[in-house]
Amino acid sequence: MEKIVIIRYAEIHLKGKNRGYFERVFTVNLERAMKGLRHELRRISGRYLVENFDEGMLDEILGRVSRVFGVHSYSVGYKVESDMDAIFAAAKLVCPMSGTFKVDTHRADKKFPLQSMEINREIGGRLLSERKELCVDVHSPAAYVYIDVRENGNTLVFGEFLKGLGGMPVGTSGKGLLLISGGIDSPVAGYMMAKRGMTVDCLHFHSYPYTNDQAKEKVVDLARILSRYSGAASLRTVSVTHVQEAIHEKCAPDLMITLLRRFMYRIAEIVAKRNGDQCLITGESLGQVASQTIEGMTSSNSVVRSLPVLRPLVGFDKDEIIERSMAMGAYETSILPFEDCCTVFLPEFPAIKPKMSYILEEEAKLDVDALVEEALGTLEKIEL
Amino acid sequence: MIYYDNAATTRPNEKAVARAGIYLTERYYNPSALYGGGFAVSGDLKKAREYLLSRVADPVSYELTFTSCGTEADNQAVFCCAKRGNAVTTAGEHAAIYASMTELNNRGVQPRFAKLNADGSVDVDDLLRLVDDKTAFVSVIHVNNETGAINPIADIAKKVKAKNPHVVFHSDGVQAYGKIPVRLSKEIDLYSVSAHKIGGLKGTGALIRRKSLALAPFVYGGGQESGKRSGTENVFGIMEFCYAAEEKFASLQEDAERIRALREYVRAGLDREIFTRLSPESGTPYILAVSAAGLRGEVLQRMLSDNGLIVGTGSACSSKHRFSRVMTACGYDEKTLDGVLRLSFSPENTREEADEAIRILNATARELKERTK
Repeated sequence: MEKIVIIRYAEIHLKGKNRGYFERVFTVNLERAMKGLRHELRRISGRYLVENFDEGMLDEILGRVSRVFGVHSYSVGYKVESDMDAIFAAAKLVCPMSGTFKVDTHRADKKFPLQSMEINREIGGRLLSERKELCVDVHSPAAYVYIDVRENGNTLVFGEFLKGLGGMPVGTSGKGLLLISGGIDSPVAGYMMAKRGMTVDCLHFHSYPYTNDQAKEKVVDLARILSRYSGAASLRTVSVTHVQEAIHEKCAPDLMITLLRRFMYRIAEIVAKRNGDQCLITGESLGQVASQTIEGMTSSNSVVRSLPVLRPLVGFDKDEIIERSMAMGAYETSILPFEDCCTVFLPEFPAIKPKMSYILEEEAKLDVDALVEEALGTLEKIEL
Repeated sequence: MIYYDNAATTRPNEKAVARAGIYLTERYYNPSALYGGGFAVSGDLKKAREYLLSRVADPVSYELTFTSCGTEADNQAVFCCAKRGNAVTTAGEHAAIYASMTELNNRGVQPRFAKLNADGSVDVDDLLRLVDDKTAFVSVIHVNNETGAINPIADIAKKVKAKNPHVVFHSDGVQAYGKIPVRLSKEIDLYSVSAHKIGGLKGTGALIRRKSLALAPFVYGGGQESGKRSGTENVFGIMEFCYAAEEKFASLQEDAERIRALREYVRAGLDREIFTRLSPESGTPYILAVSAAGLRGEVLQRMLSDNGLIVGTGSACSSKHRFSRVMTACGYDEKTLDGVLRLSFSPENTREEADEAIRILNATARELKERTK
């Protein structure tokens, strides 16, 4: 009797004639997730089977499967010969000792001597006679025993359905550039886009020496955590030190963040285009901080010429974002006390609803193109 | 690269590392083993123990237990002595004592923190006021690791014991051991030291204890270190500590005088428009704390490092833990606290280096001032 993992996918079945493409990408992603672990992955009518793995590594395999977008659910089960005694032996392993249960058989092999209902009755009956505290409930059982009699002479027996992440296979919805800070929100924003199948590249702005190497390292760690889901292999960084100094020197202090963000968006669009990214992604949530008001967003959006700016968290509360951050395993890193903006430049009272005319007037005091060009010269690429 | 962060850690003494190498390659036996090799190693540890102890205390009345670091020695002192009533310490302690004392709150013992003078030494009157008949434990740092101020621990211990003779008196001597003359007086019960501030390695420390004081273990196990600290001894680290200490103690006075002159030379070279001195002249020669008021210490530190000078700082860009707890307790204003730098020396530092360090300090501070004006 061999232990197996059964993986079912989400939404791909909706894809009609493109289904083959989605399945191929999904297969590649699953293989990448299980890289380094002995296993065989096989596709069988709308599902995947993981076989031939070391049973001691089962939890590791489940953990990795649980982080692949496109997985709807997965189960641990057994592969046995299509023989009632063998099926029963496996059924005993997946069925609990007590409580209500139901046997549910799918018989693809129409040559198998018993029909589905007969198998249900036979296996259910045997389980009942061995386990006195079990009780059948066909409407809302506490546990299921699924039996899948396959055409190749094997039968799969499994119980619990574990919920996968859902979403679409990463790589099927284009490529975007995430503006990643060291905070809680941006990694979650990247995660949300990866969930819908987008490959997420990362760009981080630092202002060394006003921010430190630890803050940068923290972002590298966050990008690594995100890459477990998003498949991205690198993080780009750009220094906005001189931009900050120039704003500090020449412009109204309450616009520091507003103006800085306009520079970040300009630089990000150029980096994205060079890199084939089709959109910018940010972790902004409406009204969360002074720069994330609709006025703030209008101000930063207006410098992006031809790419959409996606803000998957725009309608989320902080609590909801934190919950997702914890679920993706980024929270502990996000709350490390290394800040990505030095308090040297933080205005006491940032502008909350800056008028466009005021912004443009202040920005006109700067040589925007030269500062952008200079910042682009500091671009670094870090392999994750 | 000029290294002025020796109070954080020193470069390991190369000769001592080479000499101790034999404990990695040949005499690697477990000192608790009963065969010849193990017994020989335990004999070597015994000699090292006696040497390290006898430099600062009378081996007849005191004993030395090796620990994994100064912090562990401090923790053992706090948690194995402060078990009831209250415990008194200063606002100028290293985190090893400060955080342990704060934790006492959760263990039913009330911690009390005495005020500091402006130079970072403890306000002795305030400390004595906090000691009462319920006080079980008092800890006073010997040399303040941020300002370099020296607390007169012998005198303080005497006064504390006069007020309550049952108190266990401890001092964190990490910044004093091997750097300034130390002789433990009979009122001092416990004294923590560390290897890596004097050319030793990280991962080696010791707790010196007056023999007549019964002390429970902090780490339990195989009963090493006479049951006071279980766990196989870090033989290489301990032997290297001993060899490094031999060199330090051999020239302790000359080094201290030379470094005092170096400290004053650096001080005199700093731009008075930018830097103010925070360290007292009477403090340890090894530490010079200054403030570049109005500049952010952490930013300045990074720029200095990029320009070839490594220093310590007492301020951060973080909005939550921006200022040093100890410097704040000294009573400085926010601008001064923002710009705190700690220059800390070792006998390896030369006069030529000092000229270069002064140049870098002045130029870098002026540059940052210009960039953030």
